[in-house]
Amino acid sequence: MNVLSCSTNTLKGLYDISGVEVGQHFYWQIGGFQVHGQVLITSWVVIAILLGSASIAVRNPQTIPNDSQNFFEYVLEFIRDVSKTQIGEEYGPWVPFIGTMFLFIFVSNWSGALLPWKIIELPHGELAAPTNDINTTVALALLTSVAYFYAGLTKKGLSYFSKYIQPTPILLPINILEDFTKPLSLSFRLFGNILADELVVVVLVSLVPLVVPIPVMFLGLFTSGIQALIFATLAAAYIGESMEGHH
Amino acid sequence: MAKMIVASSSSCKTQIPPPLSAPKPKQQPQSLPQATLPLPKLRLPKPLASLPTKSLPLLAAASSALLAHPLPALAEEVEKASLFDFNLTLPIIMGEFLLLMFALDKIYFSPLGNFMDKRDAEIKEKLSSVKDTSQEVKQMEEQAAAVMRAARAEISAALSKMKKETQAELEQKLSEGRRKVEAELQEALAKLESQKEETMKALDSEIAVLSQDIVNKVLPTK
Repeated sequence: MNVLSCSTNTLKGLYDISGVEVGQHFYWQIGGFQVHGQVLITSWVVIAILLGSASIAVRNPQTIPNDSQNFFEYVLEFIRDVSKTQIGEEYGPWVPFIGTMFLFIFVSNWSGALLPWKIIELPHGELAAPTNDINTTVALALLTSVAYFYAGLTKKGLSYFSKYIQPTPILLPINILEDFTKPLSLSFRLFGNILADELVVVVLVSLVPLVVPIPVMFLGLFTSGIQALIFATLAAAYIGESMEGHH
Repeated sequence: MAKMIVASSSSCKTQIPPPLSAPKPKQQPQSLPQATLPLPKLRLPKPLASLPTKSLPLLAAASSALLAHPLPALAEEVEKASLFDFNLTLPIIMGEFLLLMFALDKIYFSPLGNFMDKRDAEIKEKLSSVKDTSQEVKQMEEQAAAVMRAARAEISAALSKMKKETQAELEQKLSEGRRKVEAELQEALAKLESQKEETMKALDSEIAVLSQDIVNKVLPTK
């Protein structure tokens, strides 16, 4: 008992900076509906970062690019490359979708790891990466579903639905099931990875506040980037798959 | 799809207490006796079995964190706490994403993409035009070589002409000088001859006198 109370006092300070709050939300009421305020706040910050940096860097493009323009050109070429390899030659109109998907998720994930959100204290819940919330990931996954349906329908018209009985009508249920598993896996993969990542870091920080969490933090940065790339690549792959011809 | 997820989520509104909720340090003394329990109060009113498998690792992580440090984790009133809580945030994020997509397309993807494409096209054009001018360059080089050859021929012609001219001049001067010298020589020879004759004449008269003298000396008997 004594030992416990002693450790309570000494470790109390650490908990103040590293509280784990799973599933706690900062609720706002909008017209009778509830929204997660912390997700909206951080997503606004992420959007502001993206729009601000892009508009500053691309404000006045030079033939010989300066540093920031060079970086944004590199990012754009990377996105174009990803969409081209997944979608094919008609990737042009999909670059904004894939690119925004990648950049939004990437900056969201890294903002959760790099920005000191904990400085701002909310009455309930805490600020974290927007992708830490299932609403965000499901929203992005559903948009991906809509996008690949739209791509297929505009490319082929109603004959798009004939892919459900390809190669044999026996696979119809599996093909229909795929339309549900795609967004499900997309959203849960992103959500689980980011939430688990932040949880691991927070728990480690609360256990050993020095040195030990640092490699895990770097691992977190790595997985965050990979998750953004995976989400964007898979979205592009689904779009490409629904656009490609089948026989 | 969305309905399915929402349905599954509403069936499993897990209530995970904030294990290390910071803002309630005052409750520690009361919660301490409970902390000796092997498992902290994880209030899961609904059957655990209905949890989606994805949340189980999270629960495990949370509970292990609780086991390690069960101190202020037992905050008494936990309001709504749920991982899978779908509400208006989802469509708002969708709208935000679409707005972001259009805005980024307007200020980033389209302008910079067009700019890069244009620059690529320009560079390609310049490169191909450079390849085309290589023939022109060859022609010009040939012209330059022809000009050089002509100039060289001209120069050598002029040189040889000049050489001939100077040689002729030289020879003329030489012959002139020679003629002059010869004339002078002739003149000098002629003078010499006349002087010789004069002296001979003078000697002749002297010879007569001298011979008279000799005769007079030799023949004293007179």
